[in-house]
Amino acid sequence: MNELPQQLVNGLLLGSMYGLVAIGYTMVYGIVQLINFAHGEIFMTGAFGALTVYLYILPDGTSMWLALPLMLVGAVMVSVTVAVGAERFAYRPLRTAPRLAPLITAIGLSLALQQAVWAWYPEADSPITFPEIDGGPFEIGSVTIQTGDVFLLIAAPISMAILAYFVMKTRTGRGMQATAQDPDTAKLMGINTDRIIVVAFALGAAFAAVGGVAYGLKYGEINFRMGFILGLKAFTAAVLGGIGNIYGAMIGGLVLGLAETLATAYIADVPGMEQLGGQTWANVWAFVLLILVLLFRPQGLLGERVADRA
Amino acid sequence: MSGVGPVEPGEGTRAWDDVEAPPPTGHGLPRGHPAALYYARHRRAVLASAAATAVLAGGGYLYATRPQPPPPAVGPFPSQVVDVTYLGEEGSPRRAPKGSFTFAVRVTALSGPTITVVEISQPYAGLNLTSVPKPPFRTRTGFGHKIVVTMNVTECANTPRNAGLPFLDVTLRNTRAIEDHSYILGERYAHDLSEALQVACSNDPSSLAKR
Amino acid sequence: MPGKGLLIVRQRSLIAITAALAAGALTLTACGSRDDDGGSDSGSDGKTVVIGVDAPLTGDLSALGLGIKNSVDLAAKTANKEKTVEGITFKVEALDDQAQPSSGQQNAVKFVADKDVVGAVGPLNSSVAESMQKVFDDAKLVQVSPANTGPTLTQGTDWQNKKVRTYKSYFRTATTDAIQGPFAAQYVYNDAKKKKVFVIDDKKTYGAGLAATFTGEFKKLGGKVVGTQHIDPDSKDFSAVATQVKSSGADVVYYGGEYPQAGPLSKQIKAAGSKIPVVGGDGIFDPTFIQLAGKDSTGDLATSVGAPVEDLPSAKEFVANYKAAGYKEDFAAYGGYSYDSAWAIIEAVKKVVEDNDGKLPDDARAKITEAVQGVSFDGVTGKVSFDEFGDTTNKQLTVYSVEGGAWKPVKSGTYTG
Repeated sequence: MNELPQQLVNGLLLGSMYGLVAIGYTMVYGIVQLINFAHGEIFMTGAFGALTVYLYILPDGTSMWLALPLMLVGAVMVSVTVAVGAERFAYRPLRTAPRLAPLITAIGLSLALQQAVWAWYPEADSPITFPEIDGGPFEIGSVTIQTGDVFLLIAAPISMAILAYFVMKTRTGRGMQATAQDPDTAKLMGINTDRIIVVAFALGAAFAAVGGVAYGLKYGEINFRMGFILGLKAFTAAVLGGIGNIYGAMIGGLVLGLAETLATAYIADVPGMEQLGGQTWANVWAFVLLILVLLFRPQGLLGERVADRA
Repeated sequence: MSGVGPVEPGEGTRAWDDVEAPPPTGHGLPRGHPAALYYARHRRAVLASAAATAVLAGGGYLYATRPQPPPPAVGPFPSQVVDVTYLGEEGSPRRAPKGSFTFAVRVTALSGPTITVVEISQPYAGLNLTSVPKPPFRTRTGFGHKIVVTMNVTECANTPRNAGLPFLDVTLRNTRAIEDHSYILGERYAHDLSEALQVACSNDPSSLAKR
Repeated sequence: MPGKGLLIVRQRSLIAITAALAAGALTLTACGSRDDDGGSDSGSDGKTVVIGVDAPLTGDLSALGLGIKNSVDLAAKTANKEKTVEGITFKVEALDDQAQPSSGQQNAVKFVADKDVVGAVGPLNSSVAESMQKVFDDAKLVQVSPANTGPTLTQGTDWQNKKVRTYKSYFRTATTDAIQGPFAAQYVYNDAKKKKVFVIDDKKTYGAGLAATFTGEFKKLGGKVVGTQHIDPDSKDFSAVATQVKSSGADVVYYGGEYPQAGPLSKQIKAAGSKIPVVGGDGIFDPTFIQLAGKDSTGDLATSVGAPVEDLPSAKEFVANYKAAGYKEDFAAYGGYSYDSAWAIIEAVKKVVEDNDGKLPDDARAKITEAVQGVSFDGVTGKVSFDEFGDTTNKQLTVYSVEGGAWKPVKSGTYTG
């Protein structure tokens, strides 16, 4: 059996999830030049928000077709609340502080959120089972698509389309572009930059929440640590695609997902590379790719030159 | 200092969740309402159910730890008291077919009631096993019985030429239970077995050995 | 300048927030490692000695680690209640190693530094044990692991050719992978009649070692290895691996590693369309595996050290006492072995104290280490004693299979060589 089509689909699915989370990094960076390291935890709280809706609010045995939209709403609400709260109470007071202060705050916030979920969410000290959508996998030719992946397959492109429309066509979206280009001039032009920043955090969190639900459906379990590694990967994807560029985030995610999957599957088959193959080395190859891209395109795949930023 | 592990809500909390969870509206989003009043009522309910849980738990604990008569003494499971050790290769008995491997094991029942060896077998498809004495036979507790086992090769393709830790499966029975147990006789047995099989199968390695 | 004043205010609040966050994070972390001696103090007369426990008490493997801690605590309580050693009260101090070798080594150093510690039980992971052995050995402090199965820990790195004991102070009550891997191979090949295996491991000491001993025996028996893969324990996405398994045409998967990865791995392999059993060692023998792997895990197999608990009358008593003591967590896969490990130390203390007119001698640690080598008693898991390498002489193994959402024993074996 030729496994390449299946491996490509695996890679694209993984990459879509990275992309959904990467959008949050890239938007926040684009507007306030802050690397929000707590974004991985915002993704995690979203997944827990969805689970809370399913476990504690909906009656037992609710059909997933009915539950899923409500879970999505719960996830987005929790993530957005956490992100906006973080912006208001942790980052806004530091907006004029040296660049390192918000960065360290972000790391502290990331730890605090992880530990808070671990300590206070019931049974969150071990992985918790996430509800699954019934129904068998779908076979398209030699490719199998899991029911849990269908959500990701649909949600990722729709989210991207909505985001593109929002940023390009709406008033707020154009305000975001203006703020990203030059916050001071934007302010002079009557744009409420504080509001724009909140919107950027909220939007990023909403996408992370969609990613969190997708994660739960795909892997069938969530845990308080899930945001850490995935957040790092998504940040990498954002840098790979060009941080500050929302299309770059999605492209970067897809490239990273494909790179990891293909490295896992094929590097060991290359003669002389047996020892450097397999999933344990996939991250190494993904970062080799990142370094190569940054060597030749320091601004990332779709990034623009940002030298005049200070 | 030392660790106890994750902090979890106490047991009362979960029961309280069940009791209080049904009306979800407004739970997560306290508005400008007289929240204090709501919370006070809420808290009373919590206290009530916590007290109920405590009483139940206490009662349950007392019930669970009430003095119980000791269970009637039963013998041990046979596999736990039988020791099977490999003694070594033996000369083939007279009527043994060519290419067979004969060895002795000592079966000892260490304690408990009499144990019957119901069957001795081995798991490989290409081998056939007979033993003297022929099972079923009974063992005397504390006495080592020497059993001579002969294996014939029926099909060289399906034999473990070079197994590292081959088994001998023994079915044992006593008053308590009947059990299948694998005895892994160790490296000396593995070595002797593979050597014997290599000799037996060296002449015509692919097809049937003579029976 | 108002702007400057504002800045100062902002910086102050920055400091306040950062401090608050850091404090919050630290407090929460500290919650996970707060002190608890399990209330094993019962008498105040005589001397109190400490049995250290090192295990992962938080994190993915905490189900196993907490079972170890509670079982040792039960042993200490029992010894105190029954006054097993006249004039000596046992106390348990448990440290969390989070399954990290570096934490394990720090814990070992702490135990060595505490004069009251007479022995340690643990760790769970073979990789952690490697980092602790020398620390304990230098201090002649005895260490008994209930769960390490890596052969090199007792028999040296070249154990396949020449067995050399590396540390005199290290003992274990668990059977080694030198037996466990081949035992699984024999069962899979002969009894389950699977001939084509895909071998996966997590590249850790335990997982890679187990996968290697399994593969060796499986090949010798005539089985074919149709693929190998090493997974990243930090990842949850095994879809690329699952796809490889499917296209390899394997009829069984062997996984060397632990349940936090094995569960999702099994689930994803089945979801990819390979309805074949996943087989693992004692590291996946935990109810959490079944929970993580989902309903398709029926038929998955695990080998674990020891006979099934239901077969051992002594184990039944242990289970009953454990329940009566009211521990919140299950005793898990190594509970009985942990109890026996602690009891071996208690027996050794007893012998040393009795040989010294009822008092603990000055060189107690060295004497206790010596005494552990000679212990022999009927424990929870059968007869407990140690061979010349520090390995248990009781070498039983059982194959378990997932049926109806629980592990059910299917076959047991005893190594008598």
